[in-house]
Amino acid sequence: MSEREIILEVSGLTKEYPGFLLDGVGFTVARGEIVGFIGRNGAGKSTTLKSILHLVHPASGTIRYFGMDFAENERAVRQRIGFAAGAVDFYKRRRIREIRDVAKIFYDDWEEEAWTRCIREFELDENKRPAELSEGMKVKLNLALALSHRAELLILDEPTSGLDPFSRAELLDLFRELAGRGAAILYSTHVISDLEKCADRILYIRRGRIADEADRETFKEKHRKDENESLEDMMVRMEKEGKERE
Amino acid sequence: MSDLGKLLRKEFRLAATPLTYFFMAGSLFVLIPNYPALVGAFFVCLGVFYSFQTARESNDVLFTALLPVPKRDFVRAKFAFVTVIQLLAFAAFALLSILRTALLSHAEPYASGALMRPNLALLGYVLLVYALFDAVFLLGFFRTAYAIGKPFLLYAILTFVFVAVTEVLHHLPGLGFLNAPGEGLPGRAAVFGVSLLVYLAVLFLTWKKSEERFEKIDL
Repeated sequence: MSEREIILEVSGLTKEYPGFLLDGVGFTVARGEIVGFIGRNGAGKSTTLKSILHLVHPASGTIRYFGMDFAENERAVRQRIGFAAGAVDFYKRRRIREIRDVAKIFYDDWEEEAWTRCIREFELDENKRPAELSEGMKVKLNLALALSHRAELLILDEPTSGLDPFSRAELLDLFRELAGRGAAILYSTHVISDLEKCADRILYIRRGRIADEADRETFKEKHRKDENESLEDMMVRMEKEGKERE
Repeated sequence: MSDLGKLLRKEFRLAATPLTYFFMAGSLFVLIPNYPALVGAFFVCLGVFYSFQTARESNDVLFTALLPVPKRDFVRAKFAFVTVIQLLAFAAFALLSILRTALLSHAEPYASGALMRPNLALLGYVLLVYALFDAVFLLGFFRTAYAIGKPFLLYAILTFVFVAVTEVLHHLPGLGFLNAPGEGLPGRAAVFGVSLLVYLAVLFLTWKKSEERFEKIDL
């Protein structure tokens, strides 16, 4: 088995809000890998993702992208990563081509060809406005923006939330394709079936702590109670057991 | 192009609303007889407020925070955007003031109006209305990078108090020079000079303080 080329390394990440503590979160993401970040609502998924993007200020911890310390190389790192959130649409009253025209001036590696390919593949109409797009198409627009500056790591917060099963399946297929091209994807979800379909590794967070991190099959073997237990049943049981222990 | 230049381009092309440009017409208020021209400066700032509102609804802060630019440049670009709008509106206000003074000062109803005439003191007051906007609204906005209602309401109240004060001042004994046609120019020039200095100082201090606040915000 080839060695994983780590492109995101997080350790000891701590962030405190009233009634919530993100407690020493640590994990890694390797090139070409799809990491599914799972946990129930309020477990700390979004806080973790926001912290590793410096959208919130962690109290402690280190974040390294491509071997570089994020705090010291924020500009260089942001050139190489992309972020999309399922529920977020940027400049919903502007035409997509206007958003592209502005976004591209910020990136050294913007590729017009990649943009054209993305909007063709995603069937996006540049004359439309984000407000006119379905939830799935909004995620695709954000992905197109990220992929056009050749993002090597995509960080996606609940990208499949609010999508119908067809759009969800389409998006997960797209993740596979992107990973095949060498991009790494870290996506949070509370839809466990997404992991079954599309995750090389599973990162499981519970009450602000990483409860486990492993490749999908190892994770299943480790936690499965019997042969027939699905990943979904397993996660629900683990959550329940955890709650009972407290 | 510098990061600030790129962000300023983003401000005008994505974040700004056409209402901002429409409300720059507030400078025309100087031509309305028997109306406090200073209210026009308030409308210019109201137009800027609408761009902040549109930007908030467009997730502008998040979009910008993810771009490969230093966080402090976001604040600089917002201040640059506001200052460009204010100074363009100020230039229009000044030109229209000159026009009214040169061509219409003896025409009725301008000649007999009881309110502030367009003069250097009034131009200074316009800068102070802008300074108030920077100090109250912009600084208030950068406390959260989200809440805009409260800071704008406070700004609106303070501005209307300020407008009322400026319209009372020139009726007080010894302060008639503020609105006297012809005489008292040095006094009005001093008011303008001090106002300009206050505007520049407030702009600089609020920009620095806003940068500091924005760095600490959790988005």
